[in-house]
Amino acid sequence: MAKTTRFATLIILMALACGCAKRSLVALVPDPDGKSGSISVSNEAGSVAISTPYRATTIESAKQQPTAPENIGKKTLDRMFAEALSIQPARPLHFLLYFENNTTLTSDSVQLLPGIMAAIKERNSTDISIIGHTDTVGSKEYNSELSSNRASTVKKLLIEQGAEADAIRTTSHGKENLLIPTGDNVNEPRNRRVEVVVR
Amino acid sequence: MKSVLILALATALELVVMLAYGATSDHIGLIKTMAGEVTITRNSQTIKAAPNMKLMEADIVQTGPDGKAGLILDDDTVISMGLNSRIAIKSFMFHPNDKKLSLIARIFHGTVSFLSGQITKLAPEQVHIETPYATIGLRGTHVLIQIN
Repeated sequence: MAKTTRFATLIILMALACGCAKRSLVALVPDPDGKSGSISVSNEAGSVAISTPYRATTIESAKQQPTAPENIGKKTLDRMFAEALSIQPARPLHFLLYFENNTTLTSDSVQLLPGIMAAIKERNSTDISIIGHTDTVGSKEYNSELSSNRASTVKKLLIEQGAEADAIRTTSHGKENLLIPTGDNVNEPRNRRVEVVVR
Repeated sequence: MKSVLILALATALELVVMLAYGATSDHIGLIKTMAGEVTITRNSQTIKAAPNMKLMEADIVQTGPDGKAGLILDDDTVISMGLNSRIAIKSFMFHPNDKKLSLIARIFHGTVSFLSGQITKLAPEQVHIETPYATIGLRGTHVLIQIN
């Protein structure tokens, strides 16, 4: 803990001491779901990796290697990045709707529509993506059209329930983007789907 | 007859060019949240940003002394900017079907939170955050960057 405080104080002192241009700090923090990955920070003088959250490296110039990562602590980072974090939008929400062999939603998926509408209203969303998919039964052309029709069907349903048409973008991937990998001409209900992304 | 054919060809070519242009000029994200003064610079023209304004590849977003902004890119990347911050979305390609994936952001100055999205998951080697003195590579995560 003492080390954390010392490091934080050092950074603040250094920032005050030199009005130096472009000094940078890069810190790793956990994702909202609690996991954290890793980062590498590199320039011509060298590279450092950080894989432990709340550690940071500082970079003094393009010709100096990034410093060895040190624990800076959540508190200091929360303070330094308070303004940026205060405006951070919620991550987009993804929904999967499933279909019978045609453009009819399964009854389970119909029940998801109110939840999608609630998300659109709650986020005041003006940017909704609808992406249609099929399983591998039938030709490429047939599935391309079917996936497009599925996306349009969902768009129509959302508009009927109050979504703005010009907030919606539809695309379709035919049988090219399987959720469950299968061979050709395989009837797979989990691939007959439309993905809705609410931003 | 020949001239009709040429005209038809020229029209078809024009259509292809328009479609290609349309595809590249598609938006790649939006300004989801903001406060204070925020500007977008596109093709050397700077305009005042408003909430829900769409972002294009190569846009530069700048927050003023009282400004902050939250951006959502099409692959779920969430970028938020504190006061006096300036970033560019230099490259953004999100076409998982064609395996065309790339995200290069540049941070000129300020405080920025970068919460990675699907491109980082699918092709981490194609994601870079450039800063004046170093480049950051990511493996699926949340990074905070401050540049004085």
